[in-house]
Amino acid sequence: MSTQAAPVRRTWTGLGRKRVRLADALRVVILIALVLVSLIPVVWTVLGSFKTPTELAMRSGSVLPESWALDNYTDALSRFNFVSYITNSVLVTVGATALTLAINSLAAYPLAKYNFRGKNFLFVLTLATIMIPLQVILIPVYQVVADLGLVNSLWGMIIPAAATPTGVFLLRQYMLTIPDELIEAARVDGSGEFRTFLTIVLPLCKPALAVVAIFSVMWRWNDFLWPLVVAQSERVYTLPVALARFNAEETVPFNLILAMSVVSILPVIIAFLFFQRQIATGIANTGIK
Amino acid sequence: MFRKPVTRFTAVVAAGLLALASACSPGETVDDEDPQAAPSEGQSVEEGQFAGETLNYLYFTDGPDEQATRDNIARFEEEYDVTVNLEILPYSDLVSSLQARLSGGNAPDVVRLTGLGEFAADLLPLDEYLGSEFADEFLEGPMLAVRNNSDQMIAVPSDLTMNGPFVNVEMFEEAGVELPSTEEPWTWEEMLAAAKEVQQATGSSYAFAMDKSGHRLSTILSQYGTALLNDDGFALDKEKAVAALQPLVDMMAADEMPRDFWLGSGSRYEGANEIFLARETPVYLSGSWQVGQFVNNAEFEWAAVPNPCADECGGFPGGKFMAALSASENPQLAAEFVRFMNTTESQEHFAAVSGNLPTRADLAESGVTYDDAAQAAMDVFIADLNRTPDLGFAANSQPAFGPSATALVEQVSEVVAGNKELTAAMDDLQPEVESIVEEMGSW
Amino acid sequence: MVTVATATRAGSETPRRRRTPWGLRLAPYLFLLPNMVIFGVFTIYPAFSGVNISLYESPNGRVFRWVGLGNYERILTSDEFWRVARQTITYAFAYVALSLVLATIAAVLVNQQRRGKAFFRASLFVPVLVSPVVVGLVFGWILERQGGLLNNMLGAIGIDPIPWLVDGTWAMISIIGVGVWTQLGFYMLILLAGLQAIDPSLYEAARMDGASGWQQFWGITLPLLKPSALVVLILGTIHGFQAFDFIWTLTGGGPVGATTLIVQYIYENGFISPIRYGTAAAGGVILFLAVFTLTLVNWFLSRGKED
Repeated sequence: MSTQAAPVRRTWTGLGRKRVRLADALRVVILIALVLVSLIPVVWTVLGSFKTPTELAMRSGSVLPESWALDNYTDALSRFNFVSYITNSVLVTVGATALTLAINSLAAYPLAKYNFRGKNFLFVLTLATIMIPLQVILIPVYQVVADLGLVNSLWGMIIPAAATPTGVFLLRQYMLTIPDELIEAARVDGSGEFRTFLTIVLPLCKPALAVVAIFSVMWRWNDFLWPLVVAQSERVYTLPVALARFNAEETVPFNLILAMSVVSILPVIIAFLFFQRQIATGIANTGIK
Repeated sequence: MFRKPVTRFTAVVAAGLLALASACSPGETVDDEDPQAAPSEGQSVEEGQFAGETLNYLYFTDGPDEQATRDNIARFEEEYDVTVNLEILPYSDLVSSLQARLSGGNAPDVVRLTGLGEFAADLLPLDEYLGSEFADEFLEGPMLAVRNNSDQMIAVPSDLTMNGPFVNVEMFEEAGVELPSTEEPWTWEEMLAAAKEVQQATGSSYAFAMDKSGHRLSTILSQYGTALLNDDGFALDKEKAVAALQPLVDMMAADEMPRDFWLGSGSRYEGANEIFLARETPVYLSGSWQVGQFVNNAEFEWAAVPNPCADECGGFPGGKFMAALSASENPQLAAEFVRFMNTTESQEHFAAVSGNLPTRADLAESGVTYDDAAQAAMDVFIADLNRTPDLGFAANSQPAFGPSATALVEQVSEVVAGNKELTAAMDDLQPEVESIVEEMGSW
Repeated sequence: MVTVATATRAGSETPRRRRTPWGLRLAPYLFLLPNMVIFGVFTIYPAFSGVNISLYESPNGRVFRWVGLGNYERILTSDEFWRVARQTITYAFAYVALSLVLATIAAVLVNQQRRGKAFFRASLFVPVLVSPVVVGLVFGWILERQGGLLNNMLGAIGIDPIPWLVDGTWAMISIIGVGVWTQLGFYMLILLAGLQAIDPSLYEAARMDGASGWQQFWGITLPLLKPSALVVLILGTIHGFQAFDFIWTLTGGGPVGATTLIVQYIYENGFISPIRYGTAAAGGVILFLAVFTLTLVNWFLSRGKED
């Protein structure tokens, strides 16, 4: 974004000079503004989760809560069997993400790297279904799941959503950038199709896999409508279903709802920070030419 | 040249698809057969007959009623040696969940509902199991809503609510404005004048607030002597409706009633209880179910006051139903559970803890003892129950009442947003409600 | 992964000889199989069943009455549907355009940043992690006209309270803003991956030729970013047309229907009394056809440039 005359080894994306220049300052200012817009609502929620209903009701109360006591949290958490909901949420999220990564990457590979009859049709079909909102097919899907006896089980939440079209799409787009020569070379060396996929293609897809993993974690963790319909006994409730139940009591004050919201956000943020390092190294290590 | 065959081909394919589709109906199609119910003696239950069995009860809660329900379930489980699985869902999702489960062949045994319209065909006729005299145990008003086209009782009115205003007593005292006695209610003009006087004296944000709900609006309609529906369909007297609702529109325009609240939640129901609890309004029109949470959460002295009068006095009734599903694997146990949860003992406990009015004739006679802090308010609502005109009960028992009330809210919202005049809105409402009634009656 | 994998492997390796046409021809189908089975059973089949249902009307999803194309006729002749369709297109268009521009800016800036790159990337991504229900709840609170955080902040710099959620036009602006807020980090991440794949030597060569920063941006960055931008465009269009959850909690589609989008229209027909299940299904088919056509257009327009 700035003129860079000196032949520095770094690209223009990383400026080698020590002097702070206008362009750098401007960039940091814009970035910080974007970060503020992204984070203020979240921080405001966290602050609100420590406030009392009276503080929240005040038109222009102070920014910080009067006390940092965890009353709202203990009060909110004591209302239900929290450990079980967290466990279910984790099982569903991890199980569905593992399954998604496996079948999506398998499906993305031929769509990117093979020529076969029906390829375009299958790809467009996959894409097309991204456009079907669950609300539209809720009852038919439920009938299928009920016929398969998956209702009221964690499998009923793991399997139906695993074949995410978005995941196939992202992975396929990423695999397009893998040079065909790599795959050809493996074939010449006598590697089987599946082994080529496993040993050559998959390692190259780490960054994309990481991206799909985060999204899968995020989707499954926040899934609401489907678990609500499938999970019918408290034994298999996930966190959002429990939150909804909590929310449903018309009399629950907003401060407790904020506390619960924070509790529901935290695990995904932690998961993201964990994956974030994977992505960074993944992106740095891939030798995409 | 080229075009013709293509068109013909498309037509043939389309026709084929249509034929195919009509051949594979997605579920049962409607037939005209109407199963006639024979008068029934009911079936007797032997001791230990259900031992070891399990029952699913799909439930939604307004808060305090949950504990009362759990208490009653515990007694049932002990007495019958069965397990009851209480599943609590948000009401907004209960309907879609129940639909999905019915269509997936995985229905719960018993369900709590606010309206029976959608599910009438799926509910278990209780007379066959509990005898035709069972119906006589309940009050006539609430019973209007629980009979199907074949005059079978398909639900029990499990709790009764009464709409009415609450006041912030401290604000009224501060402003030196008098509250009405139970025997001599305000008129609407008096109530609104008093509310505005308190607003001016105390500097509160609003004078008056009410839930954004067609059911609550119907309270005012009923007091002005009209209702959305009667047994013959659309029944609104538009002149009376305009007289009843115009003050609300004016107050919202003048910021004496929360306008943002009314417009801000779209087609969703929204309760104004938080506005009242935050002391932003001296008067709040809601209903008896708020008593329990005000006892727990209000940080000021409050009271229920009798509904104001116009052409009529009294409030508007509402309530919830408990029903068993025909798809239950154990209909006899399901029916027995419904009966048990509504015996004198069970309902007295439920009504007392949840702050609802009883629907049983014997309890209505003997009265229910509520929590000390709630008793005075509940007495006001019970007094209003007797002043409530029949047209309210009749309107609320129509299957089309819920969606018609939603249409009313939408029309009033249009007026509040400044898109049309109230008179025009009421004119537009008529064909809307008529088509809803016709549509729902066609099934 | 293991169980799925072995099944595929056994199939693809049966013919021993390398490059047998048969093995190569079969392999792609075997790779696709597990995904397509789940997909077919839980998405495609229910979708077709939805098409079938759209030819009936039903008050509950169990009892049906044949109406042929009546539901489509009813939808396409209703003013409400066309209003909702206009609003959906407005929302989707503004959402996609804003997302694309802002995400590109964010990605390019983050990519240039040496210090704290991970911090910026993570911070911008945080909103994506917040569940739609919570987004709706929290923004409803922040955007309150009186006493809401945003209007308080604006008030501090002398701007009068804005009716964010209670005026039709402002409410539309609000849901677009919140929609962009929730997904910006996602699109930025996709574009960032695209930027990192650009060969640094291209920039070096450009600099040797004396190209300015802007010239490099227009000449190298933007053209090479196109494949990632296409991903953002396609996913953004789909997200835009499907927006529902957070709007439902934020505005409920109001005031007076000004932010009711197509999925809410479908949802209300399907699940809110008076229930018109067939009409909901027909609405779903119409939505599907519309977005499908758009995606096809996006895809074919860009196909020549891909790879």
